[in-house]
Amino acid sequence: MSRATSYLLASPAGVLVAGLLLGPVVLLVRVSLYEPAGGRGFFVPGTWTGDNFAAATDHAGLRLLGFTAAFGAAVAATAVALGYALALFIRSLGPTARRVAVAAVLLPKLASALVVMFGLRQLLSAAGPVSRGLVALGVVAEPVTLSRNVFAALAGEVYLVLPYAVLVLLIQLGRIDPAWEAAARGLGASRWQAFRRVTLPLSVPGLVLAGQLGLMCGVGAFLGPMLLANPADQTLAVEVHRQAFDRQNWPRAAAGAVVLTLTAAGLGALFALAARRSGGGR
Amino acid sequence: MRDVSFGVTAGGFLTLLGPSGCGKTTLAKLVGGYLTPAAGRVLILGKDVTALPPERRNAGMVFQSYALFPHLSARRNVSFGLEVRGLPYRTCLDRADGMLERVGLTPAERDRKPAALSGGQQQRVALARALVIQPDLLLLDEPFANLDRLLREQLRGELRRLQRENGVTTIMVTHDPEEALAVSDLVGVMNAGRLLQVGPPAEVYHRPRTPFVARALGDANLIDGADLGLSGTVMVRPERVVIGPVASGCLWHWTARAVGRSFLGPDAVVELERAGRPVLLVRVRAADLSATSDIEVGIPTDAAWVIPDTDP
Repeated sequence: MSRATSYLLASPAGVLVAGLLLGPVVLLVRVSLYEPAGGRGFFVPGTWTGDNFAAATDHAGLRLLGFTAAFGAAVAATAVALGYALALFIRSLGPTARRVAVAAVLLPKLASALVVMFGLRQLLSAAGPVSRGLVALGVVAEPVTLSRNVFAALAGEVYLVLPYAVLVLLIQLGRIDPAWEAAARGLGASRWQAFRRVTLPLSVPGLVLAGQLGLMCGVGAFLGPMLLANPADQTLAVEVHRQAFDRQNWPRAAAGAVVLTLTAAGLGALFALAARRSGGGR
Repeated sequence: MRDVSFGVTAGGFLTLLGPSGCGKTTLAKLVGGYLTPAAGRVLILGKDVTALPPERRNAGMVFQSYALFPHLSARRNVSFGLEVRGLPYRTCLDRADGMLERVGLTPAERDRKPAALSGGQQQRVALARALVIQPDLLLLDEPFANLDRLLREQLRGELRRLQRENGVTTIMVTHDPEEALAVSDLVGVMNAGRLLQVGPPAEVYHRPRTPFVARALGDANLIDGADLGLSGTVMVRPERVVIGPVASGCLWHWTARAVGRSFLGPDAVVELERAGRPVLLVRVRAADLSATSDIEVGIPTDAAWVIPDTDP
């Protein structure tokens, strides 16, 4: 393929990136630098101020940012751990069972994320099956509300990220020749040693990619915290939404969104760098 | 797979020969513990290992693809089996170096990952990796299949030398009769999940028990015994058929037409035909071949091996 042809083929994606990503980002940055209009319109045109960023990074802002980053890291770690276990299990299945399992993993993606979140909320409500099951088993005396806390939000976000993590990890595992594990066993390695010394190191590129995906999705988490968490435990994305729609403070919301974008990109890059430093991804 | 029973004496070299799909790799995997038999037993040094996983059989295996660990250097590939046995890391590397030296890898090559090694070097690393653990049994699954002919013959000799020095009992799987005959103490010929005959190379080559075994080890003329006044099927190797004036001294001799010739360098193979009879293959020194189409041909009595007609 000639160079000109490949540029031509890449141009629709280029236009999309430039028009739908870079353009709005530039607009976002501009909006974040206007003075708030205090409910009379979106912002005061023609003004320039850094106050919105000062507000987004004050003591409360930084705490919110810290919580958001920690939440993102927790989503990534949980999704990678669960996803890796699931991917290893699916890989061990026969071809037909494997196809069914992959379909089952992807099935939640057919439903809207909102439906999934409301479903989870019902599942975890005081009248839901989990609560009733716990009562029946005698674990708790009274029905309990299991949502409205950070763990429910985490579960919700992991639910959204998990299918991607499993797919990425399955593809990576597919590149590991079963003969390598067989060879390790033949050389005297136990099942665990073969996993630890062969399968795991060869999975690293997939684990890094899945972790990066989980981190970026988790840092930007909105639906899980919004619908399943305690209103006190909120992420930056929810705060941005509040500023924009509850307080009509668009410049402040834009500043929050800029901080969020930088955080997600920064954490993703940092993670990739750390993974490369530690010798992973070979 | 059924009716498969064989033994290898300690330090011996047995080769399982057969077409692809005959079950020879399956058999090697059963011995190595990579597959579990539905019935039957596997014994290594008199110990029943049928129920043991591969890591407890102490059998080194060289896979057809070599199965070298792509993330480890050649040296670490070889030291792997020692590392998982809990030996000090330094000792593992020293022994790996010693074994890699014996198979002829330079120190610089030992630091490379498998992808940076040639096919022959990868094969040597795989062999060193299997031998360094001092296995009770060495299993080789088509170890030379991915190499060109020259390298194959060279490595074949090296393998035999290493195996003798090491004294390790070896089972090799191959579809190449030349390879089987060249390196083995015993050759087992397999077809469709059955072991048809096991014996020293010269025995299975000259005295095959079935027509299939006769063909599996090289070109063979299989003549209906009735043609020669005998019962059963008569097998004559092409190189044992004589042509020219000496042919008239044979018990069986006649004049035939040459219908095809293949020049093989030192030798030539001629296809001879007598009216209404199947083609007879003759392998002679290329220099002895004349251009005439009518050739005197004879079969010496001691060149004919009778295979009794039993089950097909």
